[in-house]
Amino acid sequence: MKIWTSKHVFDHPWETVTTAAMQKYPNPMNPSVVGVDVLDRHIDPSRKLYSHRLLSTECGLPSIVKSISFTNMISVDERLIYKPHPQDPEKTILTQEAIVTVKGVSLSSYLEGLMASTISSNANKGREAMEWVIHKLNAKIEELTASARGSIRTPMAAAAFVEK
Amino acid sequence: MNSVGDACTDMNCEYDQCFNRWFAEKFLKGDVSGDPCTDLFKRYQQCVQKAIKEKEIPIEGLEFMDHGKEKPENSS
Repeated sequence: MKIWTSKHVFDHPWETVTTAAMQKYPNPMNPSVVGVDVLDRHIDPSRKLYSHRLLSTECGLPSIVKSISFTNMISVDERLIYKPHPQDPEKTILTQEAIVTVKGVSLSSYLEGLMASTISSNANKGREAMEWVIHKLNAKIEELTASARGSIRTPMAAAAFVEK
Repeated sequence: MNSVGDACTDMNCEYDQCFNRWFAEKFLKGDVSGDPCTDLFKRYQQCVQKAIKEKEIPIEGLEFMDHGKEKPENSS
């Protein structure tokens, strides 16, 4: 059961946004994300890349949700789809959806409301985080372009993995 | 980034670096043939899936992952 959906336009081209999405964590806007794992990744016949990732977080839930849940396990499943903006190739559209379950059971509508506003505010932080990562990548590109003229690698390619 | 399984963090990092390189140098340029990270991913997955089972983290039953049931759209 979807409890929250959102659409957002980034003022950056798709290649930049998706590169940033792959390297979104860690970032200062989402300090409660302490771990990221890839559970599945594949390219489908239509050449879409799917990434299924598990985010490990610390706290961050409203206390009423914690006290009501039978266990300390709440699942928030999110789908994010990044597409080039159909009218402007320098922009990217992000569509986001979230489903929340408490140990296999969907939330009551009251709790849905609570969670939806938490997810919504986290999504705003997530967008700020993306802008932060994009800024970092672009700064790296400028640095590399200035210092490594004549390199056969594209700056984005070099910037994408030089961070680690 | 840390992994959900402490023992898997190093493999997570290694796989991540491999993927980021492939993503920038191949995928974004339209080259989806071949994946140099397959072996790394397999080893990393063995570790992660074990950690997920041990911690009883529910990852099944996602409604999203249509895996091709969706009507294909034009996207890069």
